[in-house]
Amino acid sequence: MAKYMLEVKDLTTKYITRNREDVYSVDHVSLTIEEGKSLGIAGESGCGKSTLALSLMGYYFPPLHYTSGSIIIDGKNISGMDPDTVRKNVLGSEVAYIPQAAMNAMNPTRKVGKFIEDVMKAHEIKMSKKEIRQMAKERFALLGLPVEALDKYSVELSGGMRQRVVIAVSTILNPKVLIADEPSSALDVTSQKMVIKMLKDMMAKGLVKSMIFITHELPLLYNVTDDIMVMYAGQIVERGSAKEMVFDPVHPYSRGLMRSILVPEEGTRDVKLTAIPGTPPNLKHPPAGCRFAERCRYATPNCRDYSVPMTDLGGGRCYRCNFSAEELREVYQRED
Amino acid sequence: MKSTLRNIFHSPRFVVGFVIFMAMVLTVLIYPYFVPRDPLVSIGKGFLAPGTYLSVYDANNTSTYRIDLPEAAANRMGSLLTAEDRKTMLDFLTVMGADTEGLDLSDDSVNDLIALWKSSYDEENVRTSKYEGFSTKAQRNKLKRLDTKLSGSDSAGAMTVVSGEGDAAESRAVADTDYVKVNEVANALNLPLGTDNFGRDMLTELVSATGTSLIIGLIAGTIATLLGLLVGLLAGYVGGLLDDILMFIANIFTVIPGFVLLILIYYSVGQEARGVTTCAIVIGLTSWVWTARSVRSQVISLRNRDHVNLSKLSGHSLFRIIITDILPYIASYVVMAFILQVSSGILAEAQLSLLGLGPKTTVVPTLGLMMNWAKLFGAYTSSNAWWAYFPVILVIALTSFSLNLMNTGLDQVFNPTLRD
Amino acid sequence: MSKGMRKYFKKKIFWFVITFIAAVILNFILPRLMPGDPVNAIVGKSVSPGASQEQIQEQIAFYKQQFGLDKSIFGQFFDFVKNAVNGTFGVSYSQYPRTVSDIIGSGIWWTIALQLPAILVGWILGNVLGALAAYLRKAFDKVLMPVSLFFSAIPAFGMAVILLVIFAVNLKVAPVNGAYDAGLIPKFTPSFIANVIWHYQLPFWSIVLISIGGQAVGMRSMSIYELNADYVKYARFLGIKDRRIVRYVFRNAMLPQVTGLAMSIGSMVGGALVAETIFSYPGLGMAMYNAIVSSDYPVISATTLIITIMVLLASFTLDIIYAFIDPRVKAAQFD
Repeated sequence: MAKYMLEVKDLTTKYITRNREDVYSVDHVSLTIEEGKSLGIAGESGCGKSTLALSLMGYYFPPLHYTSGSIIIDGKNISGMDPDTVRKNVLGSEVAYIPQAAMNAMNPTRKVGKFIEDVMKAHEIKMSKKEIRQMAKERFALLGLPVEALDKYSVELSGGMRQRVVIAVSTILNPKVLIADEPSSALDVTSQKMVIKMLKDMMAKGLVKSMIFITHELPLLYNVTDDIMVMYAGQIVERGSAKEMVFDPVHPYSRGLMRSILVPEEGTRDVKLTAIPGTPPNLKHPPAGCRFAERCRYATPNCRDYSVPMTDLGGGRCYRCNFSAEELREVYQRED
Repeated sequence: MKSTLRNIFHSPRFVVGFVIFMAMVLTVLIYPYFVPRDPLVSIGKGFLAPGTYLSVYDANNTSTYRIDLPEAAANRMGSLLTAEDRKTMLDFLTVMGADTEGLDLSDDSVNDLIALWKSSYDEENVRTSKYEGFSTKAQRNKLKRLDTKLSGSDSAGAMTVVSGEGDAAESRAVADTDYVKVNEVANALNLPLGTDNFGRDMLTELVSATGTSLIIGLIAGTIATLLGLLVGLLAGYVGGLLDDILMFIANIFTVIPGFVLLILIYYSVGQEARGVTTCAIVIGLTSWVWTARSVRSQVISLRNRDHVNLSKLSGHSLFRIIITDILPYIASYVVMAFILQVSSGILAEAQLSLLGLGPKTTVVPTLGLMMNWAKLFGAYTSSNAWWAYFPVILVIALTSFSLNLMNTGLDQVFNPTLRD
Repeated sequence: MSKGMRKYFKKKIFWFVITFIAAVILNFILPRLMPGDPVNAIVGKSVSPGASQEQIQEQIAFYKQQFGLDKSIFGQFFDFVKNAVNGTFGVSYSQYPRTVSDIIGSGIWWTIALQLPAILVGWILGNVLGALAAYLRKAFDKVLMPVSLFFSAIPAFGMAVILLVIFAVNLKVAPVNGAYDAGLIPKFTPSFIANVIWHYQLPFWSIVLISIGGQAVGMRSMSIYELNADYVKYARFLGIKDRRIVRYVFRNAMLPQVTGLAMSIGSMVGGALVAETIFSYPGLGMAMYNAIVSSDYPVISATTLIITIMVLLASFTLDIIYAFIDPRVKAAQFD
């Protein structure tokens, strides 16, 4: 078995609102990623997937706060470290982040090359300006980016180019885990493709050891990541290989999510598109039982009253539902 | 709409500003019912300090009550002797070697001071001894005047009031323990802010001036906002040559600063035509520029939004697109701009008037005119009458403060990124 | 220089020239719309009481000819432009035969010496306070914000009057008016300079105090806006130190604040009006005020022309500087 690049156990983080209320947006989340693998996280907006991305960095600032659980990167537990150590030794080098709004991610008044210098300096890497520049040039060339971009301000670059530059800057220290939060959702189709290709390329070249890719666009995940995980209301509801998750979702929510979006693959041709009725629960007061029960057509009173544990199906497959996988598959078959 | 209003009234800044502003507006509206006096009628002569004024004549004709206050005599002396007088007395007593141990300039020791003075002071002695610091004639006369002042007030017991002209018959003696009740005196006047140089009740005048200035601010603000909105909408939405022309005009208004333009236009209107309304209109006509600029830039960013394009494709008229697709998006901004325009309109009037270019009116005062009068009649130099200008400055500052507070409150509600 | 850049500058220069011409014309026309015949006023003062009607008429004709008022309005405009170009600006009406350039020359240095340092000091202090308020937030912000909001609400003349009353009238630590004692003759001696500095304090601080409030409020909201920007979050997650991020933020927040500085320097003559009249400071604002009161067209036209040119130059320089120092503007303008 390959070694784990990222191992998360029961990670819980919360937002403290202006009115001093706690909102647990990431609730006892556990996940693992092996070296060279990628994991996609899908879910509706507000399900906690972006918060999970921020929480995995191990570096918290208000209103987000760490509550419990551990984050182990390549065997090193970073959840207990003091913030400045995390900043210096973990961020960028162990775990790197590509933000959702990459369009404005770079300081508009600092040239790309200068910003890379700042990043290197922040990690106390002993390199001269000349060496840093040489290294950045090589990296840009390796990733197929124009070297001139180093002497430009981010606002002078086109949207797609800006996003690819952000990716290059984020991974300049060869992180073990790369967390990409909707890196392509604001781009046109051509740029999207280039961004995806670039990410896959970096994985293949070993610049990045493992990757988490967060999106609400499922078709993307199917093509990009090895595994897919579905989140609902701050919890993981199902995880499996990309293929299993797209063609054989077990949890009613995963199934609803898959069926509300077209995946351009064979076998999905006859699937009818259906939206999931209702809205996710308010996480200020999460329900006692299954969090999806309110919107689930199969829910029983039992579902609403008692919390539901994860069921492991083996082979990296697990889901959170009171019904067995067989029961659910049977029901689905009858419905089709 | 309802929830926006609720949000607005949950913003502490807005609420504080709103309360201050409404308190002023209410005062302006209600005050005339309590004091129905013409704000510009002269009731006194020159600057009278704030306080309650009792008619001496009526006080004499009011029934008296006997009150024995142990400290009455000391108070009487205390109010008679200024701090400077006491210092002179103390200095003199020290120089001539009297025992001044424990005496100071406070009211507490004024009785002892006077007693010591009476036992020590001798005109003859002062003239012959030539004490240091009291050797010249002027200095000796000063001491003599002080002594006279003390002995004149000292006739312990009663004071005689003479009534009628030329008739020296004693009508009644007033004892130093006689008191009258303030609200029994037929004519008593409370002047919380004193009077100005013309002897006009400052408070009444100030309230009336605040009202006038608020009206000027409202008229100027409305004109400036409407004009700015119109120009901004046209320049931003229609664009092209119209945009160039309108922005050119706006540029000229920036290059010749509004204030200078204001003075020039206002002066060329002629003294006779310079009423309150003209003043407000001219201010409004010269201050629309920045509203127009910001509206324009917001409209430009809205111009290519999907919903606007959809309306265009549906063949809606320019007017309808502006009303239904553009205005709602900039409404909150326009409200904020209006508030700022009102505040700067009030300020503009005050500055104009201060320079003597204010409304030519003898009917109503404005805050600026009051400042101008205070300046012309030396309230802050020769007369040192703080009550004639300080309350005015305070009211102007409070008005803009409350309007600015409301504005930042609205800003926090409408632009949540600025929220703390 | 790129093509977009060249086009941008061409357009800027075109509008600069057009605005300038329009402003010159307005500067000429507006004061002449003011009521009151200045020549009559001068003649009324200079003619002896017993003068005959003919003598008076003669005098009026003389002055009209002196001032060029006998020419058509176009002729007068031509004279105005000619005098502006050769720098004399013509002859003052109210202080005849003093030239306008002499009046302005004696005032402008007082105004610059008073305003420029005051504007700079106010700008720097205001921005530092605003940045601190934005960065420290909570306690500092809660106290400082309402205070600077209130300070910025006090009108300029109000601040000047309050300072005047407290320090000059009551405490008597500063003079009531003027730029130096009436008996002194301006020359570079230590005692004269000390006297000037003594007179300088009150007008200076009244301008500084006024500008601090507004600048602080503006800088604070700019900084908060920048602190919430996406690049701050991204830089943090790249492990960049807070201290460096704060530098990013304040540099970016500061750039737009430069506009305010340049504009207040550009319009300082107009801004000087209030402080100078309250303290009777012999600057250009005072000269302009006197000229307005005495319908002295040439002086009014010249002072407003100076203001116009200064503001125009300030905004034109700003446009150019910004295009180079702020990439955000650069990207927006040259595309």
